[in-house]
Amino acid sequence: MKVSCLLGLGLFLVSRMVFADAVPQDSYIAFPSLNKQPKYQGDVLAIYGAVNHQAIEPLFRAYQEKYPNVAIHYTESNTRHLYEQFISQPNIRPDVMLSPAMDLQFKLANDGYALAYNSPELVNVPKGSHWRNELFGFTYEPIVTAINSDILTGDELPQSREQLLNLIRNKNHLLDDKMGLFNIEQSGLGYLTWAYDGQQSRSYGRLLEAFGRHQARLYTDTSSMLNALLKGQIFIAYNLVGAYSYKWSQQYEWIKTIMPTDYTTIIMRTAFIPRDAKQPILAKRFIDLLLSSEGQHVLANQSGITPISTKVKGPYSRDELSKLPHGIFRPIPLGLELLIQTDDAKKQLIYHEWDNAMFAEPNNLSQ
Amino acid sequence: MAKATTSIRRQLILMVATVLIVINAVALWSVHIYANRAAKESYDRLLYGSALQMAENINILDSQYFIDLPVSAFETLALSASDRAFYSIMNGQYQVLTGYKDLPNIPFTQLLQQSSEKEKFIPIYYEAMYRDEMVRFVALGKRLLEGDSVNDVFIIVGQTLDARRAAATEISQMALQFVTLFFFITLLLLLFVIWRVLQPLQTIKQAITERSSQELSPLDANVPSEIAPLLKSINYFMAQLDSTLNRLKRFTAEAAHQIRTPLAGLNSQAQNAIDETDEMLRQKQLQHILESSNLLTNTVNQLLSRATLTHRYQSHPFSPVSLDYVIKETCRDLVVWALEREVEIEYVGDIKATINGDEFALKQMLQNIIENAIKYSPKSGVVEVELMIVFEQSVPLIVLQIRDQGVGVSDQDKEHIFEYFYRSPDNFASGSGIGLSIAKDVAEHHDARFHLKDNQPTGLIVEVIFPQRKGLSYEG
Repeated sequence: MKVSCLLGLGLFLVSRMVFADAVPQDSYIAFPSLNKQPKYQGDVLAIYGAVNHQAIEPLFRAYQEKYPNVAIHYTESNTRHLYEQFISQPNIRPDVMLSPAMDLQFKLANDGYALAYNSPELVNVPKGSHWRNELFGFTYEPIVTAINSDILTGDELPQSREQLLNLIRNKNHLLDDKMGLFNIEQSGLGYLTWAYDGQQSRSYGRLLEAFGRHQARLYTDTSSMLNALLKGQIFIAYNLVGAYSYKWSQQYEWIKTIMPTDYTTIIMRTAFIPRDAKQPILAKRFIDLLLSSEGQHVLANQSGITPISTKVKGPYSRDELSKLPHGIFRPIPLGLELLIQTDDAKKQLIYHEWDNAMFAEPNNLSQ
Repeated sequence: MAKATTSIRRQLILMVATVLIVINAVALWSVHIYANRAAKESYDRLLYGSALQMAENINILDSQYFIDLPVSAFETLALSASDRAFYSIMNGQYQVLTGYKDLPNIPFTQLLQQSSEKEKFIPIYYEAMYRDEMVRFVALGKRLLEGDSVNDVFIIVGQTLDARRAAATEISQMALQFVTLFFFITLLLLLFVIWRVLQPLQTIKQAITERSSQELSPLDANVPSEIAPLLKSINYFMAQLDSTLNRLKRFTAEAAHQIRTPLAGLNSQAQNAIDETDEMLRQKQLQHILESSNLLTNTVNQLLSRATLTHRYQSHPFSPVSLDYVIKETCRDLVVWALEREVEIEYVGDIKATINGDEFALKQMLQNIIENAIKYSPKSGVVEVELMIVFEQSVPLIVLQIRDQGVGVSDQDKEHIFEYFYRSPDNFASGSGIGLSIAKDVAEHHDARFHLKDNQPTGLIVEVIFPQRKGLSYEG
């Protein structure tokens, strides 16, 4: 309880205008050390992450219980913004970077920004979940679609992309301006999942066309998209991070979360320690905790995020995830394949396609 | 005691081990080189493959580059899971179209040369430091045709060296394991072979050790042909030893017998003399006792002189001896004794000869031969002693002949006359029976040949032929 009181005290919000139409907010939260001696000045572990602070907080608490003298300063931001800030502001780099945008994280590691750390806890996690002992995947999360079931009016809940396309066709103008998507130009995760869809299936083109025709709304993060779904601003949200969507579904029964049965993209949130981290030892301890069965257990039980380890038990464990209806799990490999997602030429092609579909005059489309 | 030199076993093991180590070291070294080359070539191919896949997806349309890199190009690179990879695609003006903008050491001159030659582009491999790591790059050109214009693009793909090193290390380590195993197996086999080869020597040693000191029969062991001569030598030596020992045994028994018989005679004659009342007969008996004891003394002297000679053979080195002088002296010593038996000694020949030998032994020899000759000579007989030079195949030999005119020796006896205590069954002269044997021993000790011949009309010729060798001189 004390901890949460202090949390409240240390809560700051820092806003920064980066994009004209979307406002990625850098929310900064300090978790003071548990050492209660007056005027105690301990070490500070600086973490930048694109992980909801409520989800990651139990992990920070577990860390501070182990190392009570360490304060954690967490800066939460949008994936692309985190990446760009990392590149453009080398003097304010964190001790740990957490992000679900695997491609951007990978690019930073490949370009030599990550510190190699042979964590003893790597034995707890599957082999393909880390790269070069520099980039560590610690979650296993499906990319899902959330649907407001009120619009179904008796129709079956769509289970695959094909069925989703059918639904969109059937509902037609009901869904104009009522579908939500990541803005791939502003969200790293959105771009990653969209580009990966492009590699995986033929339905990608038709989906893009359908989203364009119905003027889908674009968001930069999952929670704003889910908020819009809740408020009835949108009825369908495509390519969301599963953890948040399932939480919403538990709270509001009309919000249905589906893992498409044709294939379900799986992403890993990844962490790395920048080479110029000020507190590499504290950061290494954090990585250890993240990968340890203890940390993985916290994720599976308190954070509501499915951990990468197959061994831990809990309501959000991989075991439980595989009990939900799903198709083929397609984990995005954590490796050099991700470089294609960061390729500028490729990006321009996808943007071009995207812009053509999304921002074309409706008149042109109707012709 | 013979001093053992370095053991054959140890030498063999040392040599075998050295050869094995050298062979294995060379093998390891070549495997190391091969492993590095193999790893380099196979990963270069992956790099090239990736560049080719990228090249295939670069096109030009309305003077616009159209680059849609395939995932497979990156999947190819991802085969080396723990390596960083970098790539860059440039146009003919070295402007980066996509990818990394700061790749080092791009071989522009070579690319430009290939570009201007209008030939097919061949990949250029090079290594450079990039982002604090050594990176292997491949640079490849692609010619894009649109209408009449030709545009070249260059694809550069690089990857760090971890996977190559790991592959090379893996091959090397496997080779190391194999070579180590091979080394120990061969060593064990060779040790076994060495043990097996040296086993016959051990067998012989064992066979000899297990024998009692009395047993001198030939060793019977199955040995390889290389060891057989050794075994043969040992067996020959044992046979020699056996015969020597037998001779010695017989000699000892005979000597004891020879001494006991006169002693028994002495004993009974002395007893008779005590019992005899007739003074005349007693005198005669006492005379007999004296004769018997003289004979015994003679025998014992001979035995002693033989023992002395045997001792001298071992302890006295040869020195120059004037043979003619020794002969004359011996003749002089015996001439009185001969005259008592009404026998004359005649020294013939006027040569002087010096040989390397033992003067005392030679004198013994001469004495025994001449005494023997006198003993068997008839009354008023002549014993001729002659020293001469005989040419045998133009090699001068010193020949000594002692000729008597006695009954001679039958051919049958000639074979036995040198045996100790041998006395011809029809020989009635008194004698110990070892004189000639000693003479022969001495002759043989001087490497001289000892012959018995028949004299004409009757009698025996004892001939001693001294060999031609260093230290021998003569004149006459």
